[in-house]
Order: sequence, then C-alpha cells, then structure tokens
Amino acid sequence: MRPYLTAGDGLRSLEPDGDVVSRLRPYLLTSGRAEPVDQTLEIEAQVMTTEAGALAVQRLPFEHRDIVRLCVVSMSVAEVAARLRLHIGVARVLVADLADLGYLYVVRPSLPNSHNPNLIERVIRGLEAIR
Amino acid sequence: MDSKLSAEPPANGKRPPVPVKIVIAGGFGVGKTTAVSAISEIKPLTTEAAITSVAAEIDRTGEVPAKVSTTVALDFGCITIDDDLKLYLFGTPGQDRFGFMWRDLSHGALGAMVIVDARRIDDCYPAVDYFERMELPFVVAVNLFDGEMVHDLKDLRWALAIAEETPLITFDARERLSVRDALIELLKHALERATA
Repeated sequence: MRPYLTAGDGLRSLEPDGDVVSRLRPYLLTSGRAEPVDQTLEIEAQVMTTEAGALAVQRLPFEHRDIVRLCVVSMSVAEVAARLRLHIGVARVLVADLADLGYLYVVRPSLPNSHNPNLIERVIRGLEAIR
Repeated sequence: MDSKLSAEPPANGKRPPVPVKIVIAGGFGVGKTTAVSAISEIKPLTTEAAITSVAAEIDRTGEVPAKVSTTVALDFGCITIDDDLKLYLFGTPGQDRFGFMWRDLSHGALGAMVIVDARRIDDCYPAVDYFERMELPFVVAVNLFDGEMVHDLKDLRWALAIAEETPLITFDARERLSVRDALIELLKHALERATA
C-alpha cells in the first residue's frame, strides 16, 4: 500500500475548510487593539489617500494597502468598512493608524456646527435640488 | 478641527467634502432601508457596528468589561449636497437593545427621522424616547405602505405623546421625492430649533 493513501483524512484536515477570512477574529488585523489611536473618529469622517500614501502602497501590509487603494476617491469610514467587509470598529482603527502615518487625509465632521442655521439651510437647498 | 488625524491634503488639490448626517430610526421592517435606497446616490451599504462603543461605555463605569459579541447591521447611504458637503443617512434598528448604537450615531447629527408603521406604532417608542431625551430634532414619519392610514394623524399624535412642535408626517419610503420632502421637513424643524 502506498504510504500516504490512508493518511488522506489527516492531510485534508490541515487544509482550511471554507472561507478563511471570515474566521479571523475581527481585531486580529489591528494587533488586538479595539480602540483607534484617536478614539473619537466618527464613522462619517471622510478619508482620502495622500500622495505619501500612494507612494507607500507597495510597502504596506495588505489590510492597510486595501484601504489606501480604495480611498483614492474620498469616502467615509463607514464606506471603507462596508466595501472591504471589515467590522466598523476595525476600519476605525486602521484608518486612524494610516492617518497617523500621513497616508490618509481625514476630514471630520464639525460637530458643534450641526446646530448652525447656515449649514442646515445649505443641506435643505441641496435636498430641494433633488428631482 | 482635526487634531492629530490631519495629514497633508491630497496633492491633486481635491479635498474631501465635510460630512453631515441624519439618523433614520424605527422598528424592523418599517422601511428604513427602503427609504435610504430611494434617495441615496450610492447603493446602500451595510456594515457591522457597535462593539467598540459598548466596550467603551463599560470601561468608563469601571466595571469588568463584559464579553461583548453582539454585532448589528448598520445600513447607510449618502447624498452630495454641494462641492463641499455630503449628507449621510444612517439607518439603525429601533429596538431598545440597540440603543447604545444611537448615541454614536446621534452625536453631531442634524436630526433624526423616526419611521413608523401605523399598524404597530409601539415599535417606534424607544427611538422617540431616546431622541426626546437627547434633545435631537426629529420627525415622526408614518410610512404609507398601502397608501392608507389606519388612524388619523391627530389620534396618532395623541398615542405617541410627542410635543406639539414635533412634526408628524406621512410619506412613502419607496418614493424618492417623498423621502426628500420628509428629510426637508426634519431640517426645517431643526432650523426652527436652531434659530429659536
């Protein structure tokens, strides 16, 4: 009998069964940290890749690389999470880290401004333009 | 505004817009995702949310952090207002047990739209309670599934026990312009509060 014929089951069990990525614990990508460097980063904050980020893309670990590639067009932290299928807390950590490295430019909402009449009127005008 | 998160702006001279947001709340199946889909310029996206904010809250109270494994889906869409302003709509489940997510979402929001199915209005009570307590401007928008109201609005207002100045409107979550008008109603209410 050929030596490994009966070992078939044993060998197979070493192989990942099914979707490996989905089995990762959510915070494995962030070295276990659940809190971003800046804990207050809002999920609607806008994120855009900087020139430094674009130049560094090849040297980045894959989870960072995906974000830097994606954000050549600006989008929110929530969109980064949804498009890369990351838990939103994970996306927050990764985005904050990349911004800290200077690879992402972040525009945060002006929170006290949410009661600003001029701002509210601008949004009303924008909505009225929808046909 | 942006402390240590600031880096050099992108070299191509394009700057990302400033984000603003509105919370879309209500019980399961009342039409939150439908409403967001009707008006969003991107196909609504879904992401999992909330673990971090729960953990943070527990930390602050000094208790041993409970093992939190709950994730909830958060649906959202967006509308470009002008070159420098983008409106996000975040749809969130209206149940009490998801209340922790509302805090994160309502912080800095322009206001909230609470969607109601007139056949089961009690589904919206937790959301109404919450936004009243937070003093966030909100409208209650009855989704007319069959184009017919089960109650008249006066009875409904009485049942909901909302303040006289809180708008109570009807709309159709499938219709883009109807959703637009409901959002405008909310913002006009927010504007009144802001200028009062």
